[in-house]
Amino acid sequence: MTAALHAAGLRVPGRLEPLDLDIGPGELVAVVGPNGAGKSTLLQALAGLLECEGAVAWEGRPLHRIPAIERGRLLAWVGQEAHFEFAFPVREVVAQGRYAWDDDPSGIAEALAELDLTHLADRPVTRLSGGERHRVGLARALATQAPIQLWDEPVAQLDVRHALEVLRLARQRVDAGGTLLVSLHDLRAAYRFDRVLVLDRGSLVGNGPPHDILTAPLIREVFRVEATFVQSLVPELPRD
Amino acid sequence: MRPRLALPLLLLLLALAFLASLAFGELRLSFSQVLNALGGGGDELARTVVRDFRLPRALIGLAAGAALGASGVVMQAFFRNPLASPGLLGVSSGGALGAVAVLALGPMAGFAAATLWALPVASILGAFAATGAVLMLAQRGAGTERLLLSGVALNALLGAGTSFLLTTTVGHFEVNAQILFWLMGGLESRAWEHVAMAVPGILVACLLLLPLGRAMNLLSLGEQSARSLGVDVRRLRRQLIVLSTLLTALATAVAGIIGFVGLVVPHVLRLAFGPDHRRLLPYSMLGGATFLLACDLVTRVFPLGLRLGVVTALIGGPFFLWLLRRPR
Repeated sequence: MTAALHAAGLRVPGRLEPLDLDIGPGELVAVVGPNGAGKSTLLQALAGLLECEGAVAWEGRPLHRIPAIERGRLLAWVGQEAHFEFAFPVREVVAQGRYAWDDDPSGIAEALAELDLTHLADRPVTRLSGGERHRVGLARALATQAPIQLWDEPVAQLDVRHALEVLRLARQRVDAGGTLLVSLHDLRAAYRFDRVLVLDRGSLVGNGPPHDILTAPLIREVFRVEATFVQSLVPELPRD
Repeated sequence: MRPRLALPLLLLLLALAFLASLAFGELRLSFSQVLNALGGGGDELARTVVRDFRLPRALIGLAAGAALGASGVVMQAFFRNPLASPGLLGVSSGGALGAVAVLALGPMAGFAAATLWALPVASILGAFAATGAVLMLAQRGAGTERLLLSGVALNALLGAGTSFLLTTTVGHFEVNAQILFWLMGGLESRAWEHVAMAVPGILVACLLLLPLGRAMNLLSLGEQSARSLGVDVRRLRRQLIVLSTLLTALATAVAGIIGFVGLVVPHVLRLAFGPDHRRLLPYSMLGGATFLLACDLVTRVFPLGLRLGVVTALIGGPFFLWLLRRPR
């Protein structure tokens, strides 16, 4: 099966060492690594938002051959920063996700509801809290209905209920055949993913199922913290 | 305010300002005299005043105001900064320096007759040079401080160039007066040749800008997200910067430096009708035209020797300070 995301010799000088990668379709993949390891750089490079060396392909098509408008239909990227300078109402920001579909409005109301934004739909996006603004960015990405979704630290600023909800939505998209690559700081959440990529100082140092990859020695080596594995109370992620 | 009312309201205000521009002045005419004169009737004096003097002046005021208003909206979306405008960033100063260079050096080089058409060309070159400098100094999405400080530096540098040309031409009274005209902005003694010089270009640039509003909405909320949502950002940015610089340059070529239109007009309209560029672009063109015509009327109705650029600055300066103090 053709990989949803393919990278060969992908390199961003000074920020990302050459790496090869094949993801999906139908895979939920986490990217972890310390601050400055290159998580955001990897996501931006795969999304075609950075000058980089090497080859990137989406669904088997070389990125440089995909016209701008089709890129908007195939892949949605959500940045780490959720800063909006102009006071568009939330609904209009989410509706921007339909740009590549000629502003066809289908899916906007669902995306608002999925991110618990329906009651904020008419509020200017500049008057939201940081976490609410992140949810607006995610809702806009969901509204694109793009099969490939790259989310850069989507849950770092969310409260636990909304964070769990976002992880549930990610799983739901994947179950529907989508492909998701999500960068995370919370290693505990990464165990719920199908696969984990570990970045350290710009290099890919781990790539595989979370229980095989996120071991105490690797966590010590990459994150310089001692990790102990314990049985603990973990709120179960609802699966539907 | 309800956006549905905006277009009729703005059109009405513009029509009033335009008619008033034709009616007021040293020779006070009634609206019916104006309409008669426009239709080719009425007495000869009124006809001459309206058709040869006031009509070209009003058309240039309308076009320059629309150009500056549109240019301001575009620069704000481009830099993702509501405080960006052609005047503050130094683009107007670049256009003025180009025009002043032609005025100062043209007669010395002995091609005075060619200066009329050399003006807009030099103004366009100067404005594009300034835009290039701003693009180098302040990256996209640059913070307000960086953007405005590079504007301060650029304005000072270009102003120094203009002052230099002013002092080198001190012996030529005519030339000196013309340069002062550019520095303070104004619509006096604008004739049909000036209309031909600027109005078609401004009209075309405005028409080319209008369909870009939808993509500008996405760009104004982030360049990378706009690109990932399907906007051809490189192409859009090129179109926006070329058209807005051209608009500022043409307005400056025929009316001199007129500050604050591109800042005040889009701001007021954004507060009243929201930030959607599909509406904000045409509204700012209409609003800019109305604002400039109204300011020009002030210079004519109150014979205090006020210059147009002085009036827009008197309104725009305090407004800008209020904006800076306003919590965002």
